[in-house]
Amino acid sequence: MDHNTIVHDIVIVGAGLAGSWAATVAAREGVRNVAVLSKVHPLRSHSGAAQGGIAAALNNVRPVPGSGPEGPLEQLPEGADPVDSVELHIFDTIKGSDWLGDQDAIEIMCREAVDVLYEYEHMGCVFSRTPDGRIAQRRFGGHSAPRANYAADWTGHVLLHTIYEQALRHGVKFHSEWYCLDLIVEDNVCRGVVAMDILTGKVYTLRAKAVMFATGGYGRAYKITSNALANTGDGVAIAYNAGIPLMDMEFVQFHPTGLYKHGILMSEACRGEGGYLLNKNLERFMQRYAPGKMELAPRDLVSRSEQREIDEGRGIGEDGQGIWLDLRHLGREKILERLPQVREIAINFVGVDPIEDLVPIQPTAHYSMGCIPTDVNGQVLADANGAPVVGFYAAGEVACVSVHGANRLGTNSLLDASVFGRRAGHAMAQFVQSGAVLPPVAGDPAERNRRRLCSLLDNPGSELVEDIAVDLKTTMTNNCGIFRHAEGLKQALADIQALKARFKRARVMDKSSRFNTDLLAALELEHMLTFSEVIAATALARDESRGAHYRTDFPQRDDSRWLVHTVAHKNGEDGPRLSFKPVTINWEKYPPQERKY
Amino acid sequence: MSNNGAYPIVTVRIQRFNPDTDKKPYLQEFQVELKPGTTVLDALHEIKAHQDGSVTFRRSCRHAICGSCAMNVNGKNELVCKAPLKERLDRKGRVTIRPLPYLPIVKDLVVDRSSFWEQYQRVKPWLVPPENIPEKEFRMSPEEVAALRNAETCIMCGACYSSCQIIALTKEYIGPHALLKAFMRVMDPRDAIPGERLADLAGGDGVYRCRTIFNCIDACPKGLNPTEAIETLRKLAQKRQAFEAARAERQKRLSEPIPSP
Ligand SMILES: Cc1cc2nc3c(=O)[nH]c(=O)nc-3n(C[C@H](O)[C@H](O)[C@H](O)COP(=O)(O)OP(=O)(O)OC[C@H]3O[C@@H](n4cnc5c(N)ncnc54)[C@H](O)[C@@H]3O)c2cc1C
Ligand code: FES
Repeated sequence: MDHNTIVHDIVIVGAGLAGSWAATVAAREGVRNVAVLSKVHPLRSHSGAAQGGIAAALNNVRPVPGSGPEGPLEQLPEGADPVDSVELHIFDTIKGSDWLGDQDAIEIMCREAVDVLYEYEHMGCVFSRTPDGRIAQRRFGGHSAPRANYAADWTGHVLLHTIYEQALRHGVKFHSEWYCLDLIVEDNVCRGVVAMDILTGKVYTLRAKAVMFATGGYGRAYKITSNALANTGDGVAIAYNAGIPLMDMEFVQFHPTGLYKHGILMSEACRGEGGYLLNKNLERFMQRYAPGKMELAPRDLVSRSEQREIDEGRGIGEDGQGIWLDLRHLGREKILERLPQVREIAINFVGVDPIEDLVPIQPTAHYSMGCIPTDVNGQVLADANGAPVVGFYAAGEVACVSVHGANRLGTNSLLDASVFGRRAGHAMAQFVQSGAVLPPVAGDPAERNRRRLCSLLDNPGSELVEDIAVDLKTTMTNNCGIFRHAEGLKQALADIQALKARFKRARVMDKSSRFNTDLLAALELEHMLTFSEVIAATALARDESRGAHYRTDFPQRDDSRWLVHTVAHKNGEDGPRLSFKPVTINWEKYPPQERKY
Repeated sequence: MSNNGAYPIVTVRIQRFNPDTDKKPYLQEFQVELKPGTTVLDALHEIKAHQDGSVTFRRSCRHAICGSCAMNVNGKNELVCKAPLKERLDRKGRVTIRPLPYLPIVKDLVVDRSSFWEQYQRVKPWLVPPENIPEKEFRMSPEEVAALRNAETCIMCGACYSSCQIIALTKEYIGPHALLKAFMRVMDPRDAIPGERLADLAGGDGVYRCRTIFNCIDACPKGLNPTEAIETLRKLAQKRQAFEAARAERQKRLSEPIPSP
């Protein structure tokens, strides 16, 4: 084997919760050579930015009896009746998904949630506590019991540090600051990946018996987003280009409380702890949209309600695009204890202390419900019939199992990444240990990718990468946002075609091989152009409204035609070819209902 | 650069260095518009996107939680993503950005943190739990959790490490970041090897190397206090056996409810 090739038993791309869980489990189950690639240092992965909590029906707290739906919580007295159950978590998730989530997968996630939480705790994760020492819980949108387990408002940070430590403990090898460029799949067998060591600019073929993508989400395709700058959906585009289909791409979650003009998240915990949303008349407008759940209705509904208020002229701020978040009544003590990070963010970025003032917010692109289709063991599926791509796995935000269907509930994604990351790690270990061989690789994939990089670097073009990126984000925000309609979506498709043409003339300013982040920005833009087209195309195809996908020209849910997953296949240079996959539904237990809050 | 006069123009001086092509680091000046709310990171982005794409720096979350963007601004280490540009300008409207000091430069503002991560790993950052794992969670009181807060929110940005005068002299020193992590494990009632940890930390490269110069406290963008943690570790190291015994006692009740006060 030549010096351009590296061999591992398992290669995992992505070191967030999903990737680090999978690596830890595979290594502790005895796989010797497990490697994780991450384009940022593992601890910089976006999972660490998660704030509010991770769901599991632990039954550690309950609402003070008789205090109503917004009343205070207390620790569940020993021997008292539980207020929560796995069944309730399952039902809330199904309803939250607008019946597009696969119910077998949801059931697995909610059942294993309890065990995953205790495992995190036993690994040393520092959770907030009830007075008697159990993991503290708070309310979250769309959950009918307080089941968001938290560490103040830096839950993702403590979870990520904990699982990364475990991966180190079990001898996982990390290729930190390596950028995955390509996935090698032939004849439905995955053979490895191609990646660049960012530091040196050298490109390698990494061969493995099993490969996993845990590359996270793509919020950066939108102008206003809660996502880190690294969240450019690379894995989504790389997989698609390698012939892997993408599922349910039309479902993009907009979080109701991004900091006005910045998009930085003000955790849903703000509302979970009792915060209000107010329009410019200081009215708690959720009364008109979800009188039962108010601010704690699911995100799709709250974001739409905010956008309605804004569109009807009741927004705040210089451009009228904002809404107020009111935390003042929570009081100094509660804010300092439970929401210290969001307070600091508000002070740092908009100069407002939530203890004393209203915080300006607006909806922000937050989460990708769709992406790479997998089964409940992280096994990637090649088509709508469920044929496997041998040796290829995915979990976390880049995967679509699908547990979130058309809309994810808050705190369910840290859970999804953990549960299915863990399962994928186990599945890969079994696969490797049951005699999987290193599949051969034809040709020289590293060389192919080197040529692609050279052609980008040598392009004398006149277009700046950033200008194309801004135009992409603008059309995605305007046309593939909270409210969509056929005309706008067609416009987005036309815009993206034009932007792809402009990308052919994109100029990379940095010509060096060492730590070339300018080149990475160009690659990331190319990736965003690739999957954005799929978002627009699938959103145009789905002529109904469900969960986060709202068509003003088709405002009703249409179960007779659309109780299906959209599966998009790459089709040469033409737009994607679509096929459809039935949703797994337990018709006796959880038949589709009208979704009201 | 173009300016329609709407915003004042300010000067950003960036230390440039590509070891492959440059003999030594040099400062380069760029001009940017000072829009309201601009952070130092925004300015770097603007320069990279529209003026010189080869200006190189790390960043990701842009809200002070991922630890990527620690740099040296006007001589002080900080996270540039939460540094308001306006407040960093001198009277002539200039700001100077350099990489974290005392570390090898990879390129421009990107430093090589290898020694930093080696020390982090050396202190065994993971919890070593006791043998008996309960069915549910270990019980910890809110006070026991609060005692870890000084360490738990550390984002491993390296601002403290590269402001430390001891680190400037020797990379053998464990460093404030890793000692803070070690403090977190030692103080955690669930950790079963505090004695072993303290013995290691009391060795030549550990807590006694700290000269309490307090640079790390000034540098920490999260308001944490590594010096205090190091002092606590020193005290505990001196009464290691008693501490170990107390821990063993505490661990007998790890699955029992915390009694109400
Ligand atoms: C601000 C914010 C707050 C949130 N809060 C919550 C919450 O409270 N509760 C909840 O349940 N969910 C929350 N979420 C969602 C949740 O954090 C994410 O969905 C989840 O962390 C995703 O984890 P992951 O492991 O899939 O990916 P990530 O943690 O995003 O990790 C992706 C990894 O892939 C790597 N990578 C990507 N592309 C490449 C490439 N080309 N080459 C090499 N490596 C690559 C990255 O370096 C990184 O290591 C929040 C999200 C945001 C944005
Ligand atoms: S970019 Fe994450 S800490 Fe500054």
